[in-house]
Amino acid sequence: MVGLNGTLSIASEALAAQYAGLEVANNNIANANTPGYSRQIVSLSSAASLQNGVSVDEGVTYNGYTSVRDTVLNLAINAKTSDQASLTAQNTALTQVNTAFSGTTSGIGASISTLFSDLSALSTSPSDPSARQAVLTDANQLADAFHQGAAALSSAANSANQQVTSTVAQINQLTQQIASLNGQLASVTGGQDGGALEDQRDSLTTQLAQLVGISSTQTESSPTLTTTNGSPLVVGSTAYALQVTTASDGTAHVLDAQGNDITGKFTGGTLGGAITVRDSTLPGLSQQLDALASQFATAMNNAQASGYDASGTPGTAMFNLPTDSSSDAAGISVALTSGTGIAVSSDGSGNSSGNLQALLAVQTSALSSGANPTDSYANLVDNIGSAGSQVSTNLTATTASLQQLTTQQSSESGVSIDEETTNLIRYQQAYTAAAKVISTLTDLYTVLMNMTTGAL
Amino acid sequence: MRVDPNLSLILSVGMQGTEQALNTSIQQLASGQRVAVPSDDPYAAAANLRSLAASSNVDRYTQNGDAALSQAQMADSALSNVISELTQAVTLGTRGADGTMNSADRASIAAQVQSVLSGVVSQANVKSNGVGLFSGTASVTDAFVADSTSPDGYTYQGNSGVNQTTIGDGTQVSTNIPGDQIFINPNGNVLGSLTQLVTALQSGTTSDIADATAAVSSAITNVSQQRVVYAGTVNQINEQESYLSQETISLTSQQQALTGIDTATAITNLTQAQTAHSAVLAAAAKVLPTSLLDYLK
Repeated sequence: MVGLNGTLSIASEALAAQYAGLEVANNNIANANTPGYSRQIVSLSSAASLQNGVSVDEGVTYNGYTSVRDTVLNLAINAKTSDQASLTAQNTALTQVNTAFSGTTSGIGASISTLFSDLSALSTSPSDPSARQAVLTDANQLADAFHQGAAALSSAANSANQQVTSTVAQINQLTQQIASLNGQLASVTGGQDGGALEDQRDSLTTQLAQLVGISSTQTESSPTLTTTNGSPLVVGSTAYALQVTTASDGTAHVLDAQGNDITGKFTGGTLGGAITVRDSTLPGLSQQLDALASQFATAMNNAQASGYDASGTPGTAMFNLPTDSSSDAAGISVALTSGTGIAVSSDGSGNSSGNLQALLAVQTSALSSGANPTDSYANLVDNIGSAGSQVSTNLTATTASLQQLTTQQSSESGVSIDEETTNLIRYQQAYTAAAKVISTLTDLYTVLMNMTTGAL
Repeated sequence: MRVDPNLSLILSVGMQGTEQALNTSIQQLASGQRVAVPSDDPYAAAANLRSLAASSNVDRYTQNGDAALSQAQMADSALSNVISELTQAVTLGTRGADGTMNSADRASIAAQVQSVLSGVVSQANVKSNGVGLFSGTASVTDAFVADSTSPDGYTYQGNSGVNQTTIGDGTQVSTNIPGDQIFINPNGNVLGSLTQLVTALQSGTTSDIADATAAVSSAITNVSQQRVVYAGTVNQINEQESYLSQETISLTSQQQALTGIDTATAITNLTQAQTAHSAVLAAAAKVLPTSLLDYLK
């Protein structure tokens, strides 16, 4: 028995507790569409005490509210987000390159075929000037096709390079914000839930994971974020900024806070993806293209040297390769200025097409890379296609996987309007009932007061 | 176990997916290509490039064959004219050797043989697109020019070079026979024997005329043998051309199989994509607007 006063205080505590429930439901509804928001639930417990060996009920205690979140799931989502962002960055670059190399009636492969076809036509009319001119035009077209191929690869590399710089700037911004939130959260007294602030920090952490692969350790006193290879990003309320420097070849390199070059160590995130595509995928393809250009030019030049041109002088080089550091595919050019320079003749006589066999043999003979020019180009296209299709397939799978994890997170922490509406009704009814109890108790007081006055 | 209360995200992802499939199938139907970029099917894209290169070669072989054929036919027709002229010369020579001829008659016959000789030389100097058919690989104005110091009466200005053209993978044909092999061949010297006959008719010695006439007959045999070579070339080219036209068809089918899409399949894909997209849209329309608040009053 707690008596009238005790009952009144239980009822008023009940009012407060149910009101808290209403507040939390209201807050959840207000944040139903807030990205990263974890729904909150009130924690109510029954109050009781022991009096003279007997348990006495003392109503309800409001213990505060907690956010429903799964930190392990969040870690998994961050990891998957990093993967997806990295693949997206690679996919963008490789889609660009694949489109540039998709030509079948134009492009390097078609230009090689046209060149050899028009060369072969000289076998029946070796001294025809317009037939010779056609070959020269084809050689120029092939050089142009090489230029365009090289430009597509270097343009994709440049985009990735710019992405490195802009991503590092965004990373530094986010780490600042996370560090300041850590500072604020550090003042939340032990055991208490960080609530919406912690939601914000989780959301910023996921945004950071999108930019670069991270690993996080969560101790109460100093939550730590590092890159996957261990370079610190945020320790407690201190943010460590990354720096970008430009190397001598124009590429952006990333340094950690101590000045160490950690460019090659990033995995995951837009930064990791951009660096992977810029430093390993695209250079591999560029090397193949350059090898094809230089080996093809050398083979044609050698075939020229074994014959005689239209004036009877020994054949000179058909193609020039760059002597500076620019790539062979970007710098290849035609050395002959007139169709008369094509070394068709095998003995200097004006109507001989005897050296054509040597020139045409370049089409079917293996270059030093092991395949003939047509096959070498087809292999390059195969490699470009495979790189693109692998990344695109992985991206689709990773996106689906991330979607599943996000759905799971939403199941845990997402606000359900229907559920909150039901809660509103629940708490409202309980509130109404508690208020009714108070009103009843007030009547009882009135009866009690009136007992000691008047009517006796 | 709660379920994800946020359906709109799931539905919008679903809609993006079906829209993407719809776009792809429309593109395939419009272009007739299943492989638009290499990453759609890397192996097929590379194999297609090789096949296109082979098609380009086949086209070139066909054109080379046509050009070589036209040259061979022109040369053969010239040689056919030469044989008619030589046959006429034999008739003239036989008449000239007849003992009943007097020197005036023989002089007249000699003039006719001279005109036969000029006719034969103009055949020997025949050109195609300004290039002599019988000059070997030399670029000269005429294969044969008159030369009184030469026993044949003419000097050959060409060379013995032979050009070849490719009409198939590893298959080549010669496109010319050098003029000296046909017209001043020691085994049957066309120009020499005619010059000899003119001289003999002018001198009047019957035995010389008979010898010269026999030499002209040998020349006919030689020229006929050379014509066989041209006939062989023409046959080879014709056979090769019919093989090449089959190759063109099979290569085109190969390319279609690798990267193309047939209309029936493309339309089926499109219909399926449209159905899936409509289904997702209908589901979204049904599910999204419903909430508990609609039912509470």
